[in-house]
Amino acid sequence: MGNKSALTPILIVIVGFLTISPVLMLIFGSFSEGFGTFSGFTLSKYVEAYTDPELSAVLLNTLVFTLGSAAVATALALFLSYMYTRTNIPFKFFFGVISIIPMMIPHILFSISWVLLLNPSNGILNRYLMELFELKKAFFDIYSLPGMILVEGLLDLPVSYLIIAPAMSAFDVSLEESSRVCGAGTLRTFTRVTLPVLRPAILASVILVVVRCLASFSVPSVIGMPGRIYVLATHIYRIISTGFSADYGKAAAVGMSALAAAILLIYLYRYLTSESDRYVTISSRGFKPAIIDLKGSKYPLLGFVGLISFVLIVLPVLVLFYTSMLPYVMVPSAKAFSLMSWRNWLEVLEDPISLLALKNSVMLGLVGATLGVILSIFVSYVIVKVRTRAAGVLESLSFLSFSFPGMVIGIGFMWFFVRTPLYATIWALLIGYIAVYLPYGIRPLSSAFVQIHSHLEESSKVCGASSFTTMRRIVIPLLIPGILSGWILMASIFMRELTVSVVLSRPGSEVLAVQILRFSEDGLWGRLSALGIIMILISSALVTAASFLGKTLAKGRSPAE
Amino acid sequence: MKKWVVLLLSVVLVPSAFASDLALAKKEGKANFYANITAVEPIMQAFTSAKGVEGVYVRVSTAKYLATVLTEFEAGKLQADLLQGPLPILEMLKGKGVLTPYRSPSAAGYPAWARKDDTIMQFGIEYVAVIYNKDLVKPKDVPTRYMDLTNPKWRDKIVMPDPSSHATTITWLVGLKEAKVFPSDKAWMDFVEGLAANRPMFVKSFSPTPGPVESGEKLLAISMPKYIITHAPAPLDWARTGTLLGTPRGVAIAAKAPHPNAARLFMDYWLSKDAMKLLADKVGEYVLAPGVYPPIDGIAKAKVVPIRELSDAEIRSWGEKFKKIFFAR
Repeated sequence: MGNKSALTPILIVIVGFLTISPVLMLIFGSFSEGFGTFSGFTLSKYVEAYTDPELSAVLLNTLVFTLGSAAVATALALFLSYMYTRTNIPFKFFFGVISIIPMMIPHILFSISWVLLLNPSNGILNRYLMELFELKKAFFDIYSLPGMILVEGLLDLPVSYLIIAPAMSAFDVSLEESSRVCGAGTLRTFTRVTLPVLRPAILASVILVVVRCLASFSVPSVIGMPGRIYVLATHIYRIISTGFSADYGKAAAVGMSALAAAILLIYLYRYLTSESDRYVTISSRGFKPAIIDLKGSKYPLLGFVGLISFVLIVLPVLVLFYTSMLPYVMVPSAKAFSLMSWRNWLEVLEDPISLLALKNSVMLGLVGATLGVILSIFVSYVIVKVRTRAAGVLESLSFLSFSFPGMVIGIGFMWFFVRTPLYATIWALLIGYIAVYLPYGIRPLSSAFVQIHSHLEESSKVCGASSFTTMRRIVIPLLIPGILSGWILMASIFMRELTVSVVLSRPGSEVLAVQILRFSEDGLWGRLSALGIIMILISSALVTAASFLGKTLAKGRSPAE
Repeated sequence: MKKWVVLLLSVVLVPSAFASDLALAKKEGKANFYANITAVEPIMQAFTSAKGVEGVYVRVSTAKYLATVLTEFEAGKLQADLLQGPLPILEMLKGKGVLTPYRSPSAAGYPAWARKDDTIMQFGIEYVAVIYNKDLVKPKDVPTRYMDLTNPKWRDKIVMPDPSSHATTITWLVGLKEAKVFPSDKAWMDFVEGLAANRPMFVKSFSPTPGPVESGEKLLAISMPKYIITHAPAPLDWARTGTLLGTPRGVAIAAKAPHPNAARLFMDYWLSKDAMKLLADKVGEYVLAPGVYPPIDGIAKAKVVPIRELSDAEIRSWGEKFKKIFFAR
């Protein structure tokens, strides 16, 4: 990879420019007496924010919510990716797609679907279970911390899956075989060999989900607020919405704790994976991911995975489709079915702003994810292979914008872009997206880089290949699962991005999520669901095309050939 | 003779002045309308077809309104020609020099209080009422006064915006006290505490309030009657509980409007009876143009009163008080 000493500072400048600028604006804002401009130093916003008696309860809720969601997402991702990559379970492709569907659903719609299914008054699933088991009380109250964890965990399942699955597929089975030869059973091998080797990917997944949950707003507002459970994001929303002149400085001051937590987590991650050689599994020509024969448990496990997928993912999507056919929100009844029509779909497809938003979002998804992944390859390389103090700085920089609660970082970007000619153009959105969501590209690629031993590159160079040829012939083909994961994560996020868009989108640069927010604010749930499903279909097509392309490339350019 | 000359000149010059304003506005091409009011696309389209000047609607949510406008203004990049928002926000913008005076001839028939000055024109009231699911609430059970909301039969059956943070809801609760809707301050406090005791479900603003009522998850909402129009054919109606209160909605022209002639043309159109009728008919808004009402049964006869604007300090202080009452465990 060329001149390593020059690469790190160049990347620090690029990533720093992308992520520091809005955060710097927010830091200024949090120390400023003024509103949006720096006018007079003050610590009062920090004093007010951190002496609030409610903050401790909010932080405790946030801790449970983020760690709980990360545990749910990572455990499910481990199970599904193990089934998908390491076993001979049938209908594999279906499971691969189902694990990443929540990525494509706008979070607000997914949360509302779960409210319709599991609210304690008349949730469809609750009513069904109450009738089935003759219960007097609702089976499950979605407006609770477990409810929030369930929905957020599912929403973040794709993030975990796309980090863990590439690591799982690059796993050297000889390690497990050695364990078995030494007399260990399947469970012991899994806990003593498989899981420890996958530690970088598992930690990466937990960290990314925790950081994502810190910034998440849909689940805390749609499910947490009605249950009177406030986490950091909704606490910040309260600060912003109480009164007409929103105090973004104080909100930024609270947001700094999320930022500090994220930076701490990144350093913890680096410390825990500091001996990166321990996790290398692709080191020689003997590498071959192996498939485990499930034998008799093949179909029971298929049934179990199918049930999980149906209840957790298919059902909410079906609720969306059902809502898209109705004139207003109704529980299933004869009246509801008699009122069904395609009206909402026609209105969306004939709405010029929705169509423009669709076009813009697809463009941002394709171009943004491609540029984002290219940058991520270089950044991940430096983070994993160079591992100097400067590489640590680069890794922290890449998380800066990502770890700020959404509604605050959006304002930071606006304060920054308004000073540039890019303000109110689609290019501001493109840059903002890449800056905020860079970790989605870096995490899967870093996990992939960790598992490639430098001996492979050195052998290539010894044989006379240039750095570029080594990169093209050796490194990139082995990285394809990671590149694919990063691209899919970024493209599907960019297709439904709201946080940055809602502040920077202007007439002409409308995007899907902003249009969905408009429908949501107008209470047009039918149109909202129809547009949501169109978004899911387009994202699915992109993901399928990318997976197909990735597989073709991997076959055509396998380094073993 | 002198009077006749003035009359003749006004007959000749005034229409030609209008004509030249229209020509200038057409030359400018468009008017950018920054607004927190939702679902106004039909009015933008009607303006564009009637005047040949494009009306561009830029929706800015209340929470981000001041941050967006002031950031653009201070950077010299404010793209708005007109600004529509809650009165307290427009007052703050006026204080910062963002707005410019303009007296529109279309405002002639509006109530005097709606034209406190020549800068901010008030055109409507963001009115708040109790709405209910008419399929699920029997007519005899529909609340007929605010105090009925404290009846324990509504426990766990009400949805409302968070009264500790949602500015309009805080203002509404305080407005009920100040407008003497209750016979005494103690009676008002009994109402607030009784409502809290019924454990309403909180959402972040008014827009998510009708959904749970439509679906039957909740039966009543402290919400806005306009949703009866925008959510039709959902089985919603409003409870006739007495005086309705709301925060005034205002509109003004930006001091450095990029399209000043188009801005004035849009303001004249926006305040006209035609536009206000569209706003009432299509969006269910309560407007101040004389004789125009939303097509909601009983609204024309309702007493709708604007609430005093609370300062941000007052909103925060009341928000803290309501937090103690509504979030008490």
